[in-house]
Amino acid sequence: MSLFGTNTGFGTGGTGVFGSTTTDSHNPMKDVEVSSPPDDSISCLAFSPPTLPGNFLIGGSWANDVRCWEVQDNGQTVPKAQQMHTGPVLDACWSDDGSKVFTASCDKTAKMWDLNSNQAMQIAQHDGPIKSIHWIKAPNYNCVMTGSWDKTLKFWDTRSSNPMMSLQMPERSYCADVVYPMAVVATAERGLIVYQLENQPSEFRRIDSPLKHQHRCVAIFKDKQNKPTGFALGSIEGRVAIHYINPPNPAKDNFTFKCHRSNGTNTTTPQDIYAVNAISFHPVHGTLATVGSDGRFSFWDKDARTKLKTSEQLDQPITACCFNNNGNIFAYASSYDWSKGHEYYNPQKKNYIFLRNAAEELKPRNKKW
Amino acid sequence: MGRKKKKQMKPWCWYCNRDFDDEKILIQHQKAKHFKCHICHKKLYTGPGLAIHCMQVHKETIDSVPNAIPGRTDIELEIYGMEGIPEKDMQERRRTLEQKSQDQKRKNQDDSDEDDDDDEPGPSAQTTVQPQASYAAPMAQPGMPVAGAPGLPHGGYQGMPPMMPGVPPMMHGIPPGMHGIPPGMIPMGGMMPPMMPGMPGIPPGMPPHMAPRPGMPHMTPATAGVIPNRPAAAAQPAVTKPLFPSAAQMGSGASSPADLQSASSQPSFPNMPQAQQGAPGIAASTAASSDPPKATFPAYTQPSVSASSSTSASNPSSSTVAKPPATVTSKPATLTTTSATSKLIHPDEDISLEEMRTQLPRYQRLVPRVGQAHASAAVATVGGMIPPQQGIPQQPGMRHPMHGQYGAPPQAMPGYMAGGMPPYGQGPMVPPYQGGPPLGMRPPVMSPAGRY
Repeated sequence: MSLFGTNTGFGTGGTGVFGSTTTDSHNPMKDVEVSSPPDDSISCLAFSPPTLPGNFLIGGSWANDVRCWEVQDNGQTVPKAQQMHTGPVLDACWSDDGSKVFTASCDKTAKMWDLNSNQAMQIAQHDGPIKSIHWIKAPNYNCVMTGSWDKTLKFWDTRSSNPMMSLQMPERSYCADVVYPMAVVATAERGLIVYQLENQPSEFRRIDSPLKHQHRCVAIFKDKQNKPTGFALGSIEGRVAIHYINPPNPAKDNFTFKCHRSNGTNTTTPQDIYAVNAISFHPVHGTLATVGSDGRFSFWDKDARTKLKTSEQLDQPITACCFNNNGNIFAYASSYDWSKGHEYYNPQKKNYIFLRNAAEELKPRNKKW
Repeated sequence: MGRKKKKQMKPWCWYCNRDFDDEKILIQHQKAKHFKCHICHKKLYTGPGLAIHCMQVHKETIDSVPNAIPGRTDIELEIYGMEGIPEKDMQERRRTLEQKSQDQKRKNQDDSDEDDDDDEPGPSAQTTVQPQASYAAPMAQPGMPVAGAPGLPHGGYQGMPPMMPGVPPMMHGIPPGMHGIPPGMIPMGGMMPPMMPGMPGIPPGMPPHMAPRPGMPHMTPATAGVIPNRPAAAAQPAVTKPLFPSAAQMGSGASSPADLQSASSQPSFPNMPQAQQGAPGIAASTAASSDPPKATFPAYTQPSVSASSSTSASNPSSSTVAKPPATVTSKPATLTTTSATSKLIHPDEDISLEEMRTQLPRYQRLVPRVGQAHASAAVATVGGMIPPQQGIPQQPGMRHPMHGQYGAPPQAMPGYMAGGMPPYGQGPMVPPYQGGPPLGMRPPVMSPAGRY
């Protein structure tokens, strides 16, 4: 693992002009660059839970590795450790106590990485690449939930090689999110299933997709009482649906909004519509961030139904994002997501992870109506 | 009348208290007078909509509805036509109208006495006058601003047209119940049919008023009998609620699978004829499911992507864009849309980007790596992940088996074969994890393994 220092910089690119703003499009927002980023596209990012003092960031990539950095308060990032799979890592998550990291890979396995010993052992096996992995902490059980392209959702006690439970899904799992006691999985063919996790996981409801295009990312949000109450679903068509599970007035409460599109008011040229690659909710404010193939991130307030901010455009798509546990840091990864096919893939192009101060920009807007 | 269905009284604008014959006209009025942006003159649908538009597009805030009377300028109230009007304002309105009609009624009685003679046959004229007068009263009472009520009996449509909304339903109820009523009344009935359409629920309001009318006791049961029909017959003026959301996914008509048909014949999988057959299979089913029926706009406004399927332009979908700037709320299709052709920056196939990517040989290579005992050992090789240089033709997406581990069969795999994922029912596929899981996991225990 290389030490940081070679490529970190604050917006310095190849221009040679310190602090130049115009030509440096790899980091137009001038955010902090994480040192020693992975060598291939970053598929997932996750910050450590509040049980761990400090901020640790893990990122999985298509280079088959998952890396861990410590993010210090002064903004410095220190690479700490790394683990490998035999296939691209598609998702990663932390255990609730911050001692373990679970990683899911195209090699059809999931591993549990003990950070203290820096050992990783396989804890799950699927028939196809595992696309999502989440740690579930329930009052009466703990387990790891893995969603795979083999159309199953399996729950694993990390001590046994057999899944505690295996649920069949109608299609390949494309994305999932868990906030106890709710879990949501979005599958291929616009499938959408909500699971309830109390007692033991079971399918709660299959929902007709509020979106007309392929599902790409999903994130659960909570209500004022901190209970999961709905989710945001993003598609490849630059659109996010906010969907409540049991709203008082579904027609009024559920809505969709367009995002990650070009040519806002210019109607003379065709509008480019980009996929929403990831959605994350701010842990404190309840506002959300979306990142897209267009290389921008946006912050939104779903209750006031307004956009809070949109970033400048990066020169690569943004593939992953996450907030740290107290909402002060917003991390986003700039790497190629395949949205223009294999031809636009340049293995030599550097991948980045940026950190941004999120304390102010995600404050909710006062409701105007 | 003046029971429920108060909304069904003549449409009036909450912002400026004006009356309209028709809710459609009311809405047009609102859009032009109250929901029109003073900067760009764009007509919005509601007050909040206007506020949002000004904020998003012009970065201006507005706090009151243009051209509204004081007290009715609240920009945050979502009023569309007659929907959304606060209950207390409705009641106030009713009361005002009732008072107005009370005054009118007295006037009506005076007028109708004289005018009746014109249409009705002489002898019956006298008799008709009274009933009609009292009849007219109920009409006015429900609060219908039927200014022309006195004109009713005189037939012709003097003053009728303006009253149309209010009058017909009431009238409608009359003929059936009128058997006992002097023929003089019939002409009123005759006028009804033409006025029928568009009369929403006034009749239901009638009976209560009819009952007390001493002159028309027999009318009541009849009207009551008729009333149930009316609501069924009456067509609500079609108000498309603009307030709702998810329906708004308009748009983007052509889904990628449709394009996949053409894409599949393209060089992405040149050596995989079977793959192409498989792919269209998926494409067809997905096309069926995801193609929105709403295509107000042609599904394909751009030529299908030629060359390679991975070129960005796919899905020339016309997006029915409600508001070009990326506003958060999206409103349903019925809004004025600026139909712009749009381009989905996504490869044609309707599989996820990750699935497409795993088809690339460089990502498959390491999956079946046997004998990889330790994760760390793999670092050197894995990290190196160099584009496959094993002499395998570098066709993008080509699933040429790298080490023969997949055997020939993979081609039949529909759409995708993610990193070593076994094609369905392909026997020869070597279970990739045999050597893979370094520690403690017994492959045989993993029952799915058997499927390989």
